[in-house]
Amino acid sequence: MTRTRTAAALVATAVAAATALAGCTGATPTTSGGGTGGGGTGAQINDLKAGVFLDVTSWDPALADIGFDGPYLSAVYDPLVSLDNAAKPIPALASKWEYSADKLTLTMDLRTGVKFDDGQAFDAKAAVANIKHLKAGARSGQAYLNVADVTAKDDDTIELKLSKRDDSLLYFMGLGRSWMASPAAIESDALAQGPVGSGPYTFDKGASAPQSQYVFKKKENHWDSATFPFPNVTLFPITDQTASFNAMQGGQLNMQFANAANNAKAKEANWNIASKPSSWVGVQFADRTGTQVKALGEQKVRQAIAYAFDSAGILSAVGNNSGTATNQLWPVDGKVYDKSMDDKYKTDMAKAKALLAEAGYAQGFSVKMPMSPIFQAWQPAANQTFGELGIKVEWVDMAMPDYQKNAPTYPMFLAVIAMSGNDMATLSDQVTTSQWYNPNPSVDKFPEVKALVDQVEKADEAQQTDLLKQLNTKLVDLAWWDVWYQADNTYYSVQGIKVQPVTGMMFPTLRFIQRG
Amino acid sequence: MFSFIAKRLVSGIVLLFVVATGTFFLAHAAIGDPTPGLLGNSATAVQQDALRHKIGVDRPLLTQFWDWLSHAVTGDFGTSWRTFTPVNADLAQRLPVTLSIVVFATLLSAVFGVIIGVACGLRPGSVLDRILKFASVVLFALPGYWVAIVLVNVFALGLGWFNAVGYVDPVVSVGGWIQSITLPSIALALGAIVMVAEQLRNGFLEINNQDYVRTLRARGLSKGRVTRHVLRNASPAALTVLAMMFVGLLGGAIVVELVFYLPGIGQLTQQSSQNGNIPVLLGLTVVTVVFVVVINFLLDLVLGWVNPKVRDR
Repeated sequence: MTRTRTAAALVATAVAAATALAGCTGATPTTSGGGTGGGGTGAQINDLKAGVFLDVTSWDPALADIGFDGPYLSAVYDPLVSLDNAAKPIPALASKWEYSADKLTLTMDLRTGVKFDDGQAFDAKAAVANIKHLKAGARSGQAYLNVADVTAKDDDTIELKLSKRDDSLLYFMGLGRSWMASPAAIESDALAQGPVGSGPYTFDKGASAPQSQYVFKKKENHWDSATFPFPNVTLFPITDQTASFNAMQGGQLNMQFANAANNAKAKEANWNIASKPSSWVGVQFADRTGTQVKALGEQKVRQAIAYAFDSAGILSAVGNNSGTATNQLWPVDGKVYDKSMDDKYKTDMAKAKALLAEAGYAQGFSVKMPMSPIFQAWQPAANQTFGELGIKVEWVDMAMPDYQKNAPTYPMFLAVIAMSGNDMATLSDQVTTSQWYNPNPSVDKFPEVKALVDQVEKADEAQQTDLLKQLNTKLVDLAWWDVWYQADNTYYSVQGIKVQPVTGMMFPTLRFIQRG
Repeated sequence: MFSFIAKRLVSGIVLLFVVATGTFFLAHAAIGDPTPGLLGNSATAVQQDALRHKIGVDRPLLTQFWDWLSHAVTGDFGTSWRTFTPVNADLAQRLPVTLSIVVFATLLSAVFGVIIGVACGLRPGSVLDRILKFASVVLFALPGYWVAIVLVNVFALGLGWFNAVGYVDPVVSVGGWIQSITLPSIALALGAIVMVAEQLRNGFLEINNQDYVRTLRARGLSKGRVTRHVLRNASPAALTVLAMMFVGLLGGAIVVELVFYLPGIGQLTQQSSQNGNIPVLLGLTVVTVVFVVVINFLLDLVLGWVNPKVRDR
């Protein structure tokens, strides 16, 4: 299932990389407010002032992006399902749930006594209206691809009928695809103007300035009040990393989406630093069956490319060493990741050339690849490596929206793709389902992969991890992608605020920002 | 005078129409289908079609243009394709921010440009004059982004005199407003100050050597009265530069707005371009052109007052 945070991941990683390269975060460490950042020491912090990087995409959960919209939407909406620190689905407005034996029916019990801000009651009818709205949504719909129908069984029970078993549905609902809005607001299309939810905070529209700052006041009697410690929350969509860091230093922010290039200064200021893998960076082989460029259909050619790139060097030079050099895309802090495989494609240009020769491409081959300004940080490394291999790349320049639109039509392209915190979601998102960044899954063309995928999808939860490990090994061996590294997202917070990053969320929702 | 104002008004309207029309068709040609940018790539064809219908881009381009133009002449620039709020509301919120720093920067440029320009014109070759020469080269060479960062580091983070980022509405606090626009305005003004000063200094020197100035001195007029005469005749070039600067700063404030995180029209322009939000782009274009026309008109009036010969042209 796609998550439209991918573009945001790309922008965030690329901007961080470009900023690091340019060395333009020239703020001088200072003690004037920098250490405390708005009262970080001593007194309990009541005002959370967070620099979020991107503006809210839409107040309509069906049109919102998971990427950086989480903190905004989590202030004003309650989800049906939430996630814990390990990205495991936990109850929220859905107080409990149960799958049928065939995993094709999901029954959810709903919390009672919850009202939306417009006075409407949250009940099964409202939940059904929301899920239908989310399923039809341009951005949210992909999370519900396998949901055939949803019905209210009684006032506080709903039933989702699935057309196919979907082990990542609850994860995606928790990630940001089950925010419940007032059915009346959905019906009247009022969500485009502002949120109407039942969340822990009230949006103070008068004190807010769209695209600049969003002010929220905590509700006195929210059912989950204890999870949200800050009485006042202000979110600032500051895209310029220098401005954001300056605001943090000046005490105007006490928590921010950070550029790891500033880690030394953050340590000096005694801030908390939290990081987590967020995106994989490398080359996506869209044409791994060789339909467009025959060479890419050869396993040895893809392996040669993997051997040729100096992943650790690129992570250091472009990625500011904020991440882990690896050839896998299941998160490095997860159960499927196998550290012992990271040396499989240890940089070896001689071996890469030998493999190309064995595959019958000693002189290389020609290929067209898309290029967008956001990827230019990685272009020199790609040019040099492909050049040494004799692979002649013709770069086709395009703007970023066009890149997402056109990249799938090219045989391979540079990729910065958001990762999932759920192993089955990684399987569906990155392997089996067609996305703009995985346009031709082609699982059927690789019998061993197909067999393993079938087994994983039918296995019990207990067996899935082992099978996914086998699949991971097979995919690395096939050089399914050429992953260079997993890039981390980094967050700074002053003393008194702790951030728990979650792989899958570019910026954590408010429940992951706590006192501490 | 009536003929002068009428001519300027007509040329302004023609300019406005030409630029707005050009922007409309160029924006549509460049952006093509805005729905992927607005909805994301996971949107289905049906969802994209629905949005196309909602924002009206499924109609012939000329119909869209007439629809936009007929509303624009009444001051209605339509609704944002991203937020579906009126473009006018966005502009009303953003424009005061940019105008605050641009007007303040222009005032700083005028005041300090005149003081420095006259001082250098009175003493060509002096230390101050040589500093101006050096500063004009250096300040033009320095990127605005860098100047802004240095100002933040020294005066906000180092000395703590100002906030590092953000804008305070004067309705909330006049003191806070002045504090929030001072550093951005200085960052914008530094280059303009030396340019105005340089123009004024050169004009001053040229006029100072005219026969009528020597005659004034020979007749025993005080130094101050002579300087006023010289300044009045040397000022047109500097005034023109100042007006050009104002217009340039209006469009060029984006870098400073980014560094100081000011929610002005620069940021709005950047975001609207990225999202393919054509109604907002068109609203911004029209407003900017209106400012160009008004500023040029005011400049002509001031130049006519300073030098009556201009009015006859």
